[in-house]
This record gives sequence, C-alpha cells and structure tokens, in this order.
Amino acid sequence: MTKEKKKLSRRKFLVRGGLGTIGVLAVGTYLFRNTIRRGIAGMVNTADTPYMGNTSTPIIWFEITAQNKVIVHSPKVEMGQGTFTSLAQMAADELEVGIDQIQVVHANSISGNIDGFATGGSTSVSALWVPLRELAATMREMLKNEAAEKIGISVSEVSVANGVVLGGGKTMTYADIARNVKEWDVPDTPMLKDVKDYKFVGKAIPRVDLKDKVFGAPIFGMDASMPDLLFGAVVRPEYIGAKYIGADISKAEDMPGVVKIIKENDFVGVVATSLIEAENAKEVIEAEWQVERNWQTADIEDMIKVGKGEPFLIQKEGDAEEILDDSEGLITSEYKSPIGAHAQIEPNGALAHVEENKVTIMMSTQVVKITRDEIAERLDMDADKVNIVPTFLGGGFGRRLHTPNAVQAAVLSKAVGKPVKCFFTRKEEFQNDTFRPPTHHVLKAKLTSEGAIKAIEHNVSSGDVAFGSPMLPGIAEPILGADLGAWRGGMIQYGAIPNFRTISWRQKLPFATSWWRSLGLLANTFAIESFMDELAITAKVDPVTFRLSQIQDDDRGFRLKEVIKAAAEKSGYTDKVIKGRAMGFAVSTDANTPCAQVAEVSVVNNKIKVHKVTCAMDPGLVINPDQVRAQCEGAIIMGMSAAMFEKMDIKDGQLTPTIYGPYQMALMKHAPKEIDVVLLQNSDTPGAVGEPPLGPIGAAIANAVFRLKGERLRSMPLELS
Amino acid sequence: MTILQKIDAMKTKVLVFSTVFLVIVLSAMSALKAKIGTSEYVPLDTTKTAVVEDSSYRTMMQVLTHERCLNCHPNDNVPKQGDDSNPHNFGMSRGTNDKGFAATKCATCHQKENNLYSGVPGAPHWALAPKSMAWEGLSAAEIATVMLDKTTNGNRSHEDLIHHLTEDELVLWAFDPGVDNEGKPRTKPPVSEESYKAAVKKWFANGALIPKE
Amino acid sequence: MKISFEINGASRTVEIEDQHTPLLWVVRDRLNLKGTKFGCGKAACGACTLHVDGEAVRSCSYPVKFAEGKQIITIEGLGDEKNPHPVQQAWIEEIVPQCGYCQPGFMMATAALLNKVPNPTDADIDQNIFNVCRCATYYRMRKAIHRAVEIQETNKPKTEA
Repeated sequence: MTKEKKKLSRRKFLVRGGLGTIGVLAVGTYLFRNTIRRGIAGMVNTADTPYMGNTSTPIIWFEITAQNKVIVHSPKVEMGQGTFTSLAQMAADELEVGIDQIQVVHANSISGNIDGFATGGSTSVSALWVPLRELAATMREMLKNEAAEKIGISVSEVSVANGVVLGGGKTMTYADIARNVKEWDVPDTPMLKDVKDYKFVGKAIPRVDLKDKVFGAPIFGMDASMPDLLFGAVVRPEYIGAKYIGADISKAEDMPGVVKIIKENDFVGVVATSLIEAENAKEVIEAEWQVERNWQTADIEDMIKVGKGEPFLIQKEGDAEEILDDSEGLITSEYKSPIGAHAQIEPNGALAHVEENKVTIMMSTQVVKITRDEIAERLDMDADKVNIVPTFLGGGFGRRLHTPNAVQAAVLSKAVGKPVKCFFTRKEEFQNDTFRPPTHHVLKAKLTSEGAIKAIEHNVSSGDVAFGSPMLPGIAEPILGADLGAWRGGMIQYGAIPNFRTISWRQKLPFATSWWRSLGLLANTFAIESFMDELAITAKVDPVTFRLSQIQDDDRGFRLKEVIKAAAEKSGYTDKVIKGRAMGFAVSTDANTPCAQVAEVSVVNNKIKVHKVTCAMDPGLVINPDQVRAQCEGAIIMGMSAAMFEKMDIKDGQLTPTIYGPYQMALMKHAPKEIDVVLLQNSDTPGAVGEPPLGPIGAAIANAVFRLKGERLRSMPLELS
Repeated sequence: MTILQKIDAMKTKVLVFSTVFLVIVLSAMSALKAKIGTSEYVPLDTTKTAVVEDSSYRTMMQVLTHERCLNCHPNDNVPKQGDDSNPHNFGMSRGTNDKGFAATKCATCHQKENNLYSGVPGAPHWALAPKSMAWEGLSAAEIATVMLDKTTNGNRSHEDLIHHLTEDELVLWAFDPGVDNEGKPRTKPPVSEESYKAAVKKWFANGALIPKE
Repeated sequence: MKISFEINGASRTVEIEDQHTPLLWVVRDRLNLKGTKFGCGKAACGACTLHVDGEAVRSCSYPVKFAEGKQIITIEGLGDEKNPHPVQQAWIEEIVPQCGYCQPGFMMATAALLNKVPNPTDADIDQNIFNVCRCATYYRMRKAIHRAVEIQETNKPKTEA
C-alpha cells in the first residue's frame, strides 16, 4: 500500500454541487418555496452533475502491472452503456499509453475509490470528463518525475509515449518506474491536452469489454463464485403491499440439500447446497403476509389522473394560466402511459461472504456506496470492513439504483458462516420491481391567428420516481415538492412561446416506482410531442417548421434547432404518405442533450410496423461515436418496446405478467431495418448519451400513425383500434 | 253335392286357411324378430338420424374438444397456449414440418416430458398436429368426421385411431399437463383418463357413429 | 445418479441426486462454465441457449438426465479468441454487445440457424431468433448475422471443380 503526500489541488470540490447545493439552500429559502423550487427544477433540468467521489490521488485509480499495462479502476459501473470504453480512451490519451495497454475494471469499495452518487442519470462520462483526465495527466507526471529522479535528469528532459519514458539515453517502462515506489509525490494538476490532440477520444474504438462478452467470460454478478459456495433463496412477496409476518418452515427443513433456514424479523430465507435445492425448499416454506388490500389496475388508473394528488408548479413563463382559462379557441388533449417493468435479463442478486472482521460482496449494482452502508448497518460493522466488488451488470436501466437484496444475502452468509449466492427468480423480479410509474397528461394550448402557440400548459400526473429512493437526501422531498424524475422531460422546451407552464401532479402509489431509463422522458415527450403535432396540424404548418419557429435564440435553442434540422434533412421528412408509409417527427431535450427523431412507419394487418428511424442528437463532445450510435440504436428500440408493447397490470392484488412473452417486448422482428444516426457536437464538453434517445420515439411513431390512418393514439402501448 | 264331396271341399278350405294362417303367422313372426334386432342386422348408413347410444361419443368428445387438445390442432399455423388459447408466445409457428422453424424448433424448449421447473409442457414427439387435422373451430361432429376420414387422418384405420387416441403419449398428455410457468397445475379435461379410454373403445366398438347435432 | 456426456469436446460425468436439475445449472455450477446464462428459467428469454447434438436447446428447460450420451456445445466451445466461430467474429466486427448478458444465447441460436440455413433471409432470422435483448441490440445483431454468413462462406475450404 503506497502512501502519497496529498497536496491541495483544483480537484477538491469546494461545493459538492447538485443535491448538496439543495441542502445548503434548504435552510434559508423555505419561505420562498415556489420560486426556489422552480429555480432548482430548472437547475436540475440543465445541470451538469459533478463527480462526487475521491479524486485526491491517482493511485486508487490507476494500477500499473508488471506487464506494463495500466488497470483503470472505475468507480462507475459498466452496464452496457459503454462507460468503461470512454474512460479507457480518456485515460489513455492523458496517460500516454496505447488503448490496448489499458484494462478497465470495477473499483471495489475497500480501495477508497468510491462514487458518492451512483452510476445513472447519463452522468458518468460528463462527471468524469475533467477529473479522470486530470488524474491521468497527474499520474503521467508522477511517472515522469519518478523516472527523471531514477535516471538522474530533470523532468524537462524526459519524453513519454506508449507507456515508455525516454530520457538521458535511458528507457524506462511505466512498470519499471512504478516498481517498488513506496511514496509518490502528487504534483499540481498539469494542463490537459487540447481535445484536437487526442488520439483516442473522439474515435470509434471497439468496446474494451467486447471480447469478454463475445466469448462468454464469467464477468457478471450471476457468474460470481467462491470456494465453498452455498446457494440462498429468499421468500419474496407476491401481493402489493404485503407485509411479512412470519413463516412456518417445518416442511422446508428436511428438504434435500438444505443447510439452514433463516428467519429474520423482515424475511425468511434458505441456504442449500445448490440453487435448485434452495428454490425447492423455498417453495415449501409457508410464509405469512399481511395484505391490506387487493389492488386492481383500475384502482391505479383512478389515482393517476391530472387533478388528483398534489400539484406543483415547476415551470412558468408569462400568463398561461389566465390565457388558457376560457374555452375560446382552446385546444386540449389527454395522454396516458402504463406501468413499465425493467425486465433486465440478469436478475438482481449477490454473492455475500461474511467473515468475522470483513464482508465481501460480489454483485451487480449501480449504488456501491449505499449498498455498502446498508450492509454495514444491518451487520453492525464499520463500512470500511464491507467490500463491495462490483461486477459487470447484465442490464441496469435504473433497476439497480437500489440493491437491498445484498443485505439479505449477507444475512444468509453470516448465518451459515460460508459464502452464499442469492438471486431473484424472474417472477420475483417482475413482482418486486421498482417500476416506471404510469402517467396521465393533460395539455392545453391556444394558437395565435398566425398559427403560432400563444400559450401552452402541460399537466402531468405520475407516481414517484426519485422520492423514496435512498439516493436522495430526505430533505429533497419537502424542498423540491415535485418529483424531479417524474417531470424529467416534462418541461416545455420551446422557449419562444410567450406563455407556458408545467404542473406536476404527484401521487404516491402502493407499489414501488422509481428510476427507469430516462425516467419521465419517454411518457412526457410522448404527450408533449404528440400534442405539438396536433397543434401543428391545426395551425396548418408542417411539424418541423412549427417547432423551429417557437424555439428561443440562445445556446440551448440553437442546439435544439440544429438537431431538428438535421433529423428533418437526413430523413427527407415529409408529411405525405408514400407507398403506404408515413413519417412522424418528435424531439426532446434531456439533461442538455437534444435529440430529434423521425419514424418511418406503415400499418400492416392493423399492426404498426416501424421500418426506419432517423435520429439526430447533440450530446456535446463525443468520446466514442460508435458507442454513442449504439446507445441511440438501443434506446430507440427500447423506447419502441415501451411505446408499442410493454404494460404491467394488476390483477387481484398481484402485478402481472411475471414472465417474458406475456410481458411483451420488442424482439428482433420488430426492430427497424434501418436506423440512421446523425451526431452533432455543438458543445465542447461531453453530455448525456444513455437516456436522451429514448425520448422522441413514442411520439414519432404515433405522429406517423396519425398521418397514415387518421387515428390519434393517445395511450401507450400504442394500439390501433 | 254328396257328403264326401262336402268333406273334400272342407279339407281344402282348412288346408288353404291353414296355409294362409301359417304364412301370416310366420311373416308376423319374422317381422317381429326384425324389430328386436338380431346379430344379423347391420346398420345401413352412419349419417342417418340419431343413434340410440351416444354417451361414449359425448364422453370422448368432451376431451377432444377441450382447449388443450384444440391448442395443438389449430386451423392456422399458430399453436395456441393456455385455457384462453392465446397464440403461442414469440410468434412460434408450424414451420415446414409441424415441428417449428429450421433452428428454433418445438424441441428447442419442449422435451419428452413436462418440465416442472420451467413450466414448459412436454410429451414424446411434441409437435403440431398436421394441417389436415385442424380441429380448431369445428363442431364435435365435424371433428369426429375428419378424424374417421382416412384422407384426413393420416390414413388411419379404426384400429389405428383407437391406438392413437388411447395410447399415444402426446394425446394422453391432456391428462397429465404439468404446471405452468408460475407452478400452477394446468386444467385437465372434465373426464378421467380411464373414462375417456373406455369411451373411445366403446364408441369404436359400436361402429363409431356420429350423432346428428 | 451418474450422467455422462460430452461437453465442448470433453467427456464429463456428473453425479447428481436430482436428475431433473436443469442442464443450465449443471453447466454453470457443476462444470463452472458461466457463459450460458440464466434469465428467466422458463424458456422464455433464450439466454440459456446451447447446442445438444447440434440442435439449439434452452437449457433451463432441459433436465440433465436427457443429456446422457449427448454432445453439448456452449459458447465457450463455439469458439475462442484464437479460433472464433464466424458468428463470434461477426459479433466482434459489428461491435454488437452492450451489457452483453444475453449475447451468448443469441450467438448460440444464430450458430444453430446458420447450421440449418447457411444463408438466412431476414424472415428466417425473425422467425428463428426471438431471444430477448433488453439493451435492444437487434439492429447490429442482424448486421452481424449477415456478416457471419459472409465469413462462413469465406472460411469454406475451396473444393476442386
């Protein structure tokens, strides 16, 4: 373990920004709630999230192996979004090594390289853009300094390339230099290179985890293993709101392979010598649940209605309320979206090994720190005795932004004194998900005589997304009022409209709702952009021109207009129906990344078929164009899946369906045959990529369907009558 | 006329009357025998009006018109699933040989016995009944007709049919349908396996008559 | 009871009490081949797809007792870095995987398809490949499948006329 002399540097963040700022504002501003709330809402809508973790020394980030490779320890997890590859590119460029010399691994919590936030919100690359490069540049300088000292020359005589230092006629690899160094001098952060001088950043480098994923390497949480491993299973509720009372374990105790049945106050579980044996024993445990009420889908639909629940004004400009108050010339429409499941293919679970003085957890999670702290609390141990070893995630999508199942695995391991691997069944995943909440939208507008929008109002009713998540400090709820995840994408982005407002209606549902990739963006964009289409048609203006003419002239407005124009041009957008196909246009801005899409659609046997999607997105600086494209392609089809097929229902108290197939999702045959992605870079820092492309697709398809069939689809999943 | 002559005339009358009487009696007797139905009587036409005994037919058809049977005897190319006969998930379909697609076949998921862990049903030679045996949408009488017709039933004789209906493991799967993907037992036909088999055999033994509906 | 089979070219014997244990768990936990994945355990997602005697089988719904005497291939046996299967090579060229969890199942299903239909049309692909990919990498998968066909063609030894 090397020590390093810490020096004050620009890396230390004086204010933890983002959510920390909310805490600071909380005290003095309670009296000015509405204005401040809107201010915070605006801030959250556009804010860059700073990296909230340990950037004090490069030593916990970069490890140099004897083979002269650099292992980058990433506190952000890789769930397919390509972050590892971007980090490798950024690090390689500043470290002066070849991209093949870099290997990115997950940082385990005991190393101290812990992300205080989470991996999510499309923030990993934007948060690490400056800190990681600074750390890499610092590491490079540390190596140069050390080499210069070892060679006996001044550091200005030293040059570096591909992990090798040259100077004074000598050659030293980074491995040579780093060997046996006990104490590093951490210098001031050097200047970063110019982006145009980067060799890797900006290039379509193949994913660094590609080969592992193609050749079946055991890299996922479910693949984790240890000697003497046992298998656990926990009884999980089937009914909404079920409270665990107790269990009769008599039948389970003698089942084959059972090591122990563990009864806790809050759950009952079994440990056995194989997964199948654990599941079989679990089947015969008779758990007792207290269920207050047998919910039905209709009950939820009744709750999620604009006008019910608590309203919060989150956006206001001009006098929309007054203008839209009377019915003269008033255009109004309603839209709905259903409960959505994450359905990521790797179920949640963990391998826990609880020993006397230390705990090791191997698992897929998006919240390393929170999970560590929850386990430490449950086991009454210090947090630094709990080591979370994150694995590659078989899908995240926000499902793993809270992973308390690791606590249960730890309890089981402690009870048997051996490592225990405990996973959800697929049915348990479907019934114990933290769902995308259902929504209801009411939009109102009035047009001027020239066919522009005079005033527009968006009311969105939704279950919670952010509130109830352990990621938010408790103080956030009373301060923010409206759930910032629920109204994500719900604000009016057309700043040239003189009067607009957005009202978020908050309703707490009886089952868990939380973060689902892009949060409220998909549903909100569906509602707003369908409505914009309706208004454009009423105004007799084509939808592209209609949108362009209502965008303000500033930086955000400029970027938004550019993606609209790019999408329209690349797709050859037309309102006409040609050979049984029509196009639909939609655009959204998510966390500063505008994204416009055109869907080319036909209807065959009353079924919607999407042939092609054109996508123009401006995520700012593009680290890896191939991976940004991949995110667009995937998000578009995932958005299609949610817009056209996915729906959870509640039947006699149980969430249903509980299996793929009945939970309909987009398959190979549904995927568009063509996806054209145009990337714009009208900002010089990297912004959000993983979620923004989910926004427009629902509305784009519905708008195309309208042109084709004259039927306005206002409910997802989209179905023709 | 002399007395002798009178007696002769009477003899003749008696003879004639006796003969006539005998003929009448014998005819009547043979007519009566015909009504009772001896083993020599053979029914002329299977499509003629109601046959007396059809309870075995009804028992058999209760099974053969059950959703589970019809699910694999669709009138299109799509196997059906469940009590509500919804189309098989994932667009699974007949393929070219009733066994699914070229690489993803029925046998990719369905094995020769029910799988109690996955809830996937199974039986030997799991496959769709050929198109000629499409029963979905047919009435009981239509199913029975199609079944007896050698041009549509795979050239099966009555013997073959009895074997198929009472001994084929895929057919008998109806009585042991396993559990679904949530572990819940599938519904069974409304008659027991024994009653069904007995009904089939009896129906064929009685000539496989299809009552008019 | 003992069950013997060949897996990825090697003979293995497994001693197991519950012979109905899905082959998936024997492969993953007894034989330590983690490439074949668990997604649902109900033969609905296809993440567990492997080959038994050259046919695609969803191993979560295949009792290990049926593996007796069979030849099994998993993703680890399909090919490796030194000798990748055309499907794997195409998957690399097109940079298909995102999270990667469902990919082995798709590659095995695709390899089975190319064994039966060396030059599948899009309709053949749609019909035969209905595994579930939540990251929705289908767009690149389709390209990779067509590319794999090309690679397979190129790899075919040229025969004398």
